[in-house]
Amino acid sequence: MGKYNILKHELVPAHELLSKEEEEELLKNLGIKREQLPKIRKSDPVIKILEEKYGPIEPGRIIKIIRNNSRTSGIYIVYRMVVGE
Amino acid sequence: MSSQQILVWKDTLKKVSEILQKAKDSTICYCVDYDIPSDIKVKEGMITVSGKTFVARFKISSIKQYKDQEGCIFKKKDNPRTCIEISKAEEIQEDIVKYEELTGMSIEKIETYSILRPKEEIKIELKENPLDKLDPEVKSTYDLGLKLGYNLPINVCKDLVAVKKKYNVTDKDYPELVKATAEKYQENLVDPFEAVGIVGAQSIGEPGTQMTMRTFHFAGIAEMDVTLGLPRLIEIVDARKTPSTPSMTIYLDEKIKNSEDKARELASKIETTTITDIADLEVNTTEMYVKIILDKEKLKERNLQKEEITSKLKKMKLQKYEIEEDGYEIKITLDEPSYKKLYNLSESLKALQVKGVPKIRRAIVKYDDKKKEWVIYTQGSNLPAILEMDGVDFARTKTNDIMEIADTLGIEAARQAIIDESISTLQEAGLHTDTRHLMLVADIMTYDGTVQAIGRHGVSGKKASVLARAAFEITSKHLLNAGLIGEVDKLNGVAENIIVGQPITLGTGAVNLIYKRGD
Repeated sequence: MGKYNILKHELVPAHELLSKEEEEELLKNLGIKREQLPKIRKSDPVIKILEEKYGPIEPGRIIKIIRNNSRTSGIYIVYRMVVGE
Repeated sequence: MSSQQILVWKDTLKKVSEILQKAKDSTICYCVDYDIPSDIKVKEGMITVSGKTFVARFKISSIKQYKDQEGCIFKKKDNPRTCIEISKAEEIQEDIVKYEELTGMSIEKIETYSILRPKEEIKIELKENPLDKLDPEVKSTYDLGLKLGYNLPINVCKDLVAVKKKYNVTDKDYPELVKATAEKYQENLVDPFEAVGIVGAQSIGEPGTQMTMRTFHFAGIAEMDVTLGLPRLIEIVDARKTPSTPSMTIYLDEKIKNSEDKARELASKIETTTITDIADLEVNTTEMYVKIILDKEKLKERNLQKEEITSKLKKMKLQKYEIEEDGYEIKITLDEPSYKKLYNLSESLKALQVKGVPKIRRAIVKYDDKKKEWVIYTQGSNLPAILEMDGVDFARTKTNDIMEIADTLGIEAARQAIIDESISTLQEAGLHTDTRHLMLVADIMTYDGTVQAIGRHGVSGKKASVLARAAFEITSKHLLNAGLIGEVDKLNGVAENIIVGQPITLGTGAVNLIYKRGD
């Protein structure tokens, strides 16, 4: 990993790993299956940083992304499911 | 931290045993033929012979400039520069792997000396949740909306707060206002099964027809070509591996952003310089040599020393050849007459990069009037390398190469870059397209975690339905393949239902009437 933290780049929004309980609640609220969420690769640079913090993240986990500079709604929350390579 | 730094260098076995012997009971001076800045505070040193293990470890009492001290051991007889006072030495056998782990640098690459520092622990700071930073009033409006059963966008909440202040809305009336706004907002949302894709395609396509088909002109930066207009827009949605004119906008950090000289210095570090930029190559086929004639003026212009070039040449594995230096001329003679070798040598010399970041051909320094700072614009893009550089404000530095952003900053950054790039391309042409359409395009392109093109090789080629794929491009191939493997089309999409002549699953066509059978 480089000496810079890519999470600090202004193009990169905040990423958070949801706990298993939060995942269940989210899917219940949205009324969808996990597979219907947009995806994020396990090899994504941001996931690699999250892994250094949380330990290995297996495919299927859900990442909460808080976009800060949405042109329409200001702050917007989206979710992506981690998929393998 | 500084006390843990260890000086490391490579030496011969003979010298090592000499040091070990003499330093056993007294302090000795070891003189090396290179400069070590005296402000480096190292207390320990290690020597390696083979590059696989360290063979000696010693205590360093001081590092001084060489001034005819007596009783010294010399690394090389001539031209001693620095004197290292060694107070205690011991033989060790330590694996080098640890060093490489600590510094991330291969010992093979050490030219003179290197300083081993324990790798700084990288603190993993997650980006803070922007919702936590919100103005409390905006937050309470948002919560109020949630309580009333509406998920209002933050921007709407901000507007509401502004309106509340402007017209002095009382706290009692405020929920009423929020509710009315939320209801209006709800009315304006896109309905389920609305054909957003086709609306988006129209909204981007129509202004696209007004764009010039081929525009290659300057984007306000002197002498810098940037693809704009329709070709650029096509490039973005096609998700090309590299754009036709990759370029970067490099912002500088607080310390140097107001200094033109510092910015120019950094730009010269970034710009690649090859041998052909600073010298003439003369290939002599009768006497089998290549002569590099360095241009003094050009060297000065690019802030280069002759030594830098010779040291680069040394790394080129030319040991077999005879290298003669004569002032500003370097002559490389072949060991045997071979035209092929001579040709290869001159070609590899031409490509030899003396300075700069790979892939960046030019770097131009310009003053940004709006932001009041110096900015470097480049031709060619290499985001990972630039972000590592000192003096670069990596949080703001950008490239127009979306694939590179996806690789270094992740899929979410790529999505944002697609939006930003397409909006700026359209705006440059004086066109205004609603952001939502471009956001939709970016969302679709990044849906599966990689940047996919809109078209046959990307999104459209991956549709679940055979008929939809066949309706798009290369019909026969898709139908044939589907027939071979026995694909089933569930007729869920739009295109396939048009083909078979059924109502499409859009708008009212998406509603199915189900009735409960009375028992």
